[in-house]
Amino acid sequence: MKVAYYSPLPPERSGIADYSAHLLPALQERIEVEVVKRGRTRPARGTDLSLYHVGNNPEAHGWIVDALRKRAGTVVLHDFVLHHLVAGLTIGRRDGHGYLDAMEREGGVVARLLAHGVLDKRIPPLWESRPEEFHLAGEVLDLATGLIVHSRHVEDRARAAGYERPIWRLPHPAWEHAEVVAAPIQGAPLIGSFGNVNASKRIPQLLEAFARLRRYRPDARLLLVGAVSPGFDLDLRLQRLGLSGEGIVRETYVEEDRLWSLMAACDVCINLRSPTMGETSGSVIRQLSLGKPVVVSDVGWFAELPDDVALKVPVDEHETDTLYAALELLARDEGARAAMSRAGLELVRREHELGRAADLYVAALEQAAGGEAVAHAVLGDVAAAATDVGIEPGSAEAAELARRLAEVELGR
Amino acid sequence: MRVAVCAPQVPFVRGGAEIMAETLVDELRRREHEAELVSVPFKWYPGTRVLDQAFLWRLLDLTESDGRPIDLVLATKFPAYVVRHPNKRVWVLHQFRQAYELDRTDLGQFSEETQDRALRRSVQRLDRIALGEAKRLFATSRNVADRIERSTGLAAEVLPHPPQELEYRSEGYGDFVLSVGRLDRAKRNDLLLEAAALDPGLRVVIAGDGPDRDRLESLAAERRLDGRAQFVGRVDEDELASLYARCLAVYYAPVDEDFGMVPYEAFLSEKPVLTTSDAGGPLEMVTDGRTGYVTPPEPAELARAAGRLRQHPEEAERYGRAGKELAARVTWDGCIDRLLAT
Repeated sequence: MKVAYYSPLPPERSGIADYSAHLLPALQERIEVEVVKRGRTRPARGTDLSLYHVGNNPEAHGWIVDALRKRAGTVVLHDFVLHHLVAGLTIGRRDGHGYLDAMEREGGVVARLLAHGVLDKRIPPLWESRPEEFHLAGEVLDLATGLIVHSRHVEDRARAAGYERPIWRLPHPAWEHAEVVAAPIQGAPLIGSFGNVNASKRIPQLLEAFARLRRYRPDARLLLVGAVSPGFDLDLRLQRLGLSGEGIVRETYVEEDRLWSLMAACDVCINLRSPTMGETSGSVIRQLSLGKPVVVSDVGWFAELPDDVALKVPVDEHETDTLYAALELLARDEGARAAMSRAGLELVRREHELGRAADLYVAALEQAAGGEAVAHAVLGDVAAAATDVGIEPGSAEAAELARRLAEVELGR
Repeated sequence: MRVAVCAPQVPFVRGGAEIMAETLVDELRRREHEAELVSVPFKWYPGTRVLDQAFLWRLLDLTESDGRPIDLVLATKFPAYVVRHPNKRVWVLHQFRQAYELDRTDLGQFSEETQDRALRRSVQRLDRIALGEAKRLFATSRNVADRIERSTGLAAEVLPHPPQELEYRSEGYGDFVLSVGRLDRAKRNDLLLEAAALDPGLRVVIAGDGPDRDRLESLAAERRLDGRAQFVGRVDEDELASLYARCLAVYYAPVDEDFGMVPYEAFLSEKPVLTTSDAGGPLEMVTDGRTGYVTPPEPAELARAAGRLRQHPEEAERYGRAGKELAARVTWDGCIDRLLAT
């Protein structure tokens, strides 16, 4: 089987580029893969299937959606909410009408009016202020002949949006790493947060909880790794909480090796998110593979992590208190940290190991490429046999046959 | 308890799986259960026939019979375990091996065409669903249980089954190595013939019939085994017991076999087993240098092991007796208790 593979790749700086760089060699050991050059949207010749990695970033994924429009195929849906992507594909290309149509399609006339408000700059961009209310995944779902997802959350949302074709829920592949040398950063405990520094990563809540922790644990340090998003005044917040100059260690964009060694230095890693776009976190997978206890928001994919590897913080009015309690527990209880570490390592070994993930990918791709033909053949045989014995289409007996086929997922 | 034992039937073919299903019914009846064998013919080719035929099982209603409930269905093999029942238990002898470890081997069925690849995956998906419905899931060997876990993520309890009932006995350690079973390529009788070609003192008797027989007979002729390889075809139970009783050792080295009753039958006849390091299930019973020999799958190695037993029949006897102790522990009482336990 030969697969045309559409994805951002390094040196592009994106989690999905890293993901593909990691996954591709394992896939290429198992099947033939043609990696399509960035920007090439013409259907790749001589391939059995096209595989499109779609995320919410229009710079990274706009061309991939263009290619998908030319040839339907299997979509790896990395985010369910694609509002930002669709805004980039429409408004970003001076196609305001396209944005209006996308909004109307999903939310009717009211959504179209809201979109007018955005175009007229009367309300803030919805992809920044309320993206979760309008996912705008409709076009991509229409074009996808099958979906690969990494969470039940995305699977459920796709089904809720009316998607009826096959969905394969696969584990996010874990990185294999040689012995990682921890960066020499002190902290008792050292708490790490990796990724953009902004409100949707719940950095304000994290800073507040951390400031409380430091009142009782002056040796605690918080390592913030990632760029500060525009409009987010980190310095002011640190100053207000009395964290300026001490307790905080800052790094912006770091190379892969440095990232691993920083993670390895942490006692606990924090991965908060709200709203979630339905994404899976490569950072969390990395941290678990290093045996790090993680604290996550109780949303989306993060909520699906087993309870023994992650402490989950609900996004509600008690968020900061709960987060503080989680930090305090992990700071105090070495046994709990060790148990979470063991459970995380076991989870990665059991579920996310690269070879296993690649095998499951290939299984999904093989079904995606030939599954419809198999389903048609089975349905054809069953229908022919039913007709031979006088079972009419639309009859109760035919419905019973259909039910039995559906039970064992034959015929789809 | 009213139990329907579900097993597929390949018309005109009879092997260990068929014997096991029939024996299970007999043993259940012997313990005063009402047991019945339910069978549907199975043909797995061409194309999607394998799924069509599996679907036949799904259409059966085994919840009751003649107005009385069936308490439990006990399925043994693909595709019988696709059957529906609120108290379905599965004792897996075989999945559809062409969709698993035999894929892309000479014994495989699915080509590289996209439809065939997808068909193989559909069989695997069907397994996941059908086995996942089982109230209890057993496997006849660790090898089978591991394969189920790898392919479906389901954990099966290992429950070996006893061999068929024969007049097992030993009448000494003769000059021939016995091979028993259906003659198909997976049973790898060619390895035994090649070993005989290397050792002029090695005599083999092959009992059984099947699609590989002509090829094996031609191979024996090509290697000029001149009567040292005897094909006795299918034999009745008395003759089989007699062959076991008289042989020096029993050869059993299929490719990654799921289980196979032959080693236990050999052991109950106090005979050592010659097998290979890639034989799968038999390796759970045969311990090298204790109950037989485990060699690399090379004719020379096999010939060497058989030669050693020929020169040291006391060793053959010792290994055979150690095997008997092992086989005697696997009883129908134990199996049925676990299969029916709530």
